[in-house]
Amino acid sequence: MTDKKQDEFYIGWVGKTPPTFAALTKRFVLVLLPVIILLGVLLAVSQKKFGTGNFEFGTLTEVRGIYFDKPVPNLRVVTGFGLEGNNSFVTIPLIGYGKFGADGAISDIEKAKHAVLNGKWITLKGTLLYNDGKALMQVDIGDNPITNIADVTPHPMTVDSEQLGSITVKGEIIDPKCYFGVMKPGEGKPHEDCAIRCILGGMPPMLHVVDGSGRINYYFIVGHDGGKINNSIKNYIAGPVAITGKAIQYGDWVVLYTDGPQSITAISKSALWQPKGSIMACAAGGTPLKTPTCSVR
Amino acid sequence: MGAHYTAVGWNRQKKIYDWVIFAFCVTYLAVFITVTAFANPDYTFETALIRSTSTLAFLLLHVILSIGPLARINHKFLPLLYNRRHLGVTMFFVALVHGGFSILQFHALGNTNPFLSLFLSNTQYNSLPGFPFQALGFFALLILLLMAATSHDFWLHNLSPKMWKTLHMLVYLAYLLIIMHVMLGVIQYETSPVLVVLLALGAITIISLHLIAGMKEVKNDQVVYPNRKEGFVQVCHINDIEDSRAKMFCIGAERIAVFKTAGKLFAVSNVCKHQNGPLGEGKVVDGCITCPWHGYQYLPHNGQSPPPFKEQVSTYDVMVNEGYVWVNPIAYPEGTERPGALINLQVP
Ligand code: HEM
Ligand code: FES
Repeated sequence: MTDKKQDEFYIGWVGKTPPTFAALTKRFVLVLLPVIILLGVLLAVSQKKFGTGNFEFGTLTEVRGIYFDKPVPNLRVVTGFGLEGNNSFVTIPLIGYGKFGADGAISDIEKAKHAVLNGKWITLKGTLLYNDGKALMQVDIGDNPITNIADVTPHPMTVDSEQLGSITVKGEIIDPKCYFGVMKPGEGKPHEDCAIRCILGGMPPMLHVVDGSGRINYYFIVGHDGGKINNSIKNYIAGPVAITGKAIQYGDWVVLYTDGPQSITAISKSALWQPKGSIMACAAGGTPLKTPTCSVR
Repeated sequence: MGAHYTAVGWNRQKKIYDWVIFAFCVTYLAVFITVTAFANPDYTFETALIRSTSTLAFLLLHVILSIGPLARINHKFLPLLYNRRHLGVTMFFVALVHGGFSILQFHALGNTNPFLSLFLSNTQYNSLPGFPFQALGFFALLILLLMAATSHDFWLHNLSPKMWKTLHMLVYLAYLLIIMHVMLGVIQYETSPVLVVLLALGAITIISLHLIAGMKEVKNDQVVYPNRKEGFVQVCHINDIEDSRAKMFCIGAERIAVFKTAGKLFAVSNVCKHQNGPLGEGKVVDGCITCPWHGYQYLPHNGQSPPPFKEQVSTYDVMVNEGYVWVNPIAYPEGTERPGALINLQVP
C-alpha cells in the first residue's frame, strides 16, 4: 500500500538515518554552513573602520621630562631648546593601569621616594599609547616606573598658556586611554560602559571633536578651578554633547574649564555635525606652540 | 525493543554531527578574524574575538530557532531536530566567550566589581537610545545558560516536562533581548546598514517559518467533524490511515492520534510526554508507537512506555462502523488499557 520511501521513518537513537532523510539533511547543511560563513565575511567587512591608535602593550619606554600634576598629570618632554627659554616640547598626559587615572601611581611613587614630583625633572618608564600625533603614557607601579628624579631642574619651565576665551564645542566625551589605542572602538555606544568605568576611575575625561573635513581636536575637561569633575558627568559620557567653558591652551593640548554638568548639554547625533574648518585647528596633531591659525567658533 | 530504547548514547551519527559543529565554529571564527584583520589592519584581536563569537552565536541561534518549524513543515528535517540540543549547548558556549570576554574587556580592572559595573556604569535605563545594552545581553546569556544546563533529559524529568518546556520557551525572550542588545548597542555606532538589514532578514525568516508551520497545524485543528453518535465522533475512513501509521484529529480540546497496527486501530493522545512531540506523525516500530521527534515509545493498547520507562499517555475508545473510524474524545486516565477496534478488511 505504501511505497518504501514514504514509509521511511527516522529514529534518532537507532543511529541509522533513512536515505531520503539523510540526503535532504546533508544537502541542507552543505548549503547552510557556507551561507553562514559568507554572512560572517559580510559582517566582518562591514565593520566601521577602526581607529589608528596604538597601545605598545608589553613594551616599556623611558621618557625624560618635567612632571606637572595640573591640569591633568602630564610629563613635558622638551624636543628643542629655543632662544629666551622658548623651548618646544610635547606634553604626554599620564594615565594609570587598568581603568584608573595616574594619580594613584604618582602618589605611590611620591610616598616611596619621599618626594613631591610636581615641577621635577624625572625619568619615567611606562607604556606609550599614541594616535593622531598625540602620545600618552601608562604609568603602572608594577613596572617600577620612576628611574630618576633630578635634584634640580636644569631648564626651569613654567606652563605657557594661551587664553582662548569662552567657547562652546560639540563632540563626544571619551576616556583617552581607550581612545588612544587600548580599545577599538574606544568611543561610541559599544564602548560606553568602559569609558564610564575609566573616567570614574580617575582617567581624565576628554572631549573629542571632529569637523566635516575630518579635522580632529581634543579638550581635557576639568572644573572651573581645574579640579576633577569626573564623577558628575557620567551621563554625558560617550554620547554627543555640547560643552561650554573657558579654553586654555597649554602647548599642544587644550583644556576646557567648565562648571561641571551645568556646562554640558546632551545633543542629538545630527546636531553633532560641524562644517569644515569650524573647529579649532591649532592643537591637533602636535602642532607647535602658539600657532597663529587658532580660530574658535 | 526495550533494550535499544535505553541505548540513547553517543552513536556514530552524533559524533559526526558534533565534529561538524565544532569544525564549522572554528572555521567561522578563523574566517571572521582573518577577514577583519585584512579589511581593517588597525583591528585589535580582542574586538575581533568579541565580534566573531557574538555573530556566530547569534547566527547559530537563528538556525536553532528555524529547526523546529522546518521539521514541522517537512519531516525529513527531523534528524536536525533530534540533534538540536548539541547545537544549543555549543551556541551557549560561543555566546559565553563573547559575554565573558566583553565583561573582562569593558568592566575588569576598574574601581567596581565587573558584574556590578555591568549594571552600574551606564544607568540610563530610562532612555531608549542610551539604554545599557550590555545588561540585555547578560539576561539573554543567563537564559541560554539555564537552557544549556537543563538540556539533559535528567532535568526534563526532574523539572517536569511542562516546566522544562516553559523554561525552554524562554529562548524566544532571549532572542528578543539579543535583538535589542544589538539595536541599542553596536547599531548606535556602526554606519554600515549590513547588520540592521541582516537582523531584519533574520527576524523575518524566523517569524515566517513559525507562521507557515503554525498555519499547517491550525488547518488540521479547524477540521469539523459533524457526524456524532453516542459520544463517538466520525473522523475518517479506515483506508485513510496507513498501516503502522496514524492520523491526528483535534476534537474539542483533545488531540487524538489513531494508529493502525496489527489489524486493529488504537487511539492515544497525540501529545508526547517528552517534549509534546506529535505522536500522530510517528510510526509503530517493533509494536511500539514511536515519537517522530526523539523516539520515545508507547504501547498502542495502553499508552504506556515499555519498562523500564514510565511515561504514559491518555487512551481513547475507538470503533469501526461500516468502514468509518469513530473516536470517543473523552480521555481515559493516562496508561489505561483499551481494546482498540478490529478492522474488518472486507468493508465497502
Ligand atoms: C554578559 C553578556 C553580554 C555582554 C557583556 C555583551 C557585551 C557586548 C558588547 C560590549 C558588544 C559591543 C561590542 C563591539 O562590537 O564593540 C556586544 C555586541 C553584540 N553582542 Fe553581546 N554581550 C553579551 C551577551 C550576548 C549574547 C548572549 C549574545 C547572543 C548570542 C550577544 C550577541 C551580540 C551581538 C550579535 C553583538 C553585535 C556584534 C558585535 O558588535 O559584537 N551578546 N555585546
Ligand atoms: S517529543 Fe521527544 S520523543 Fe516525543
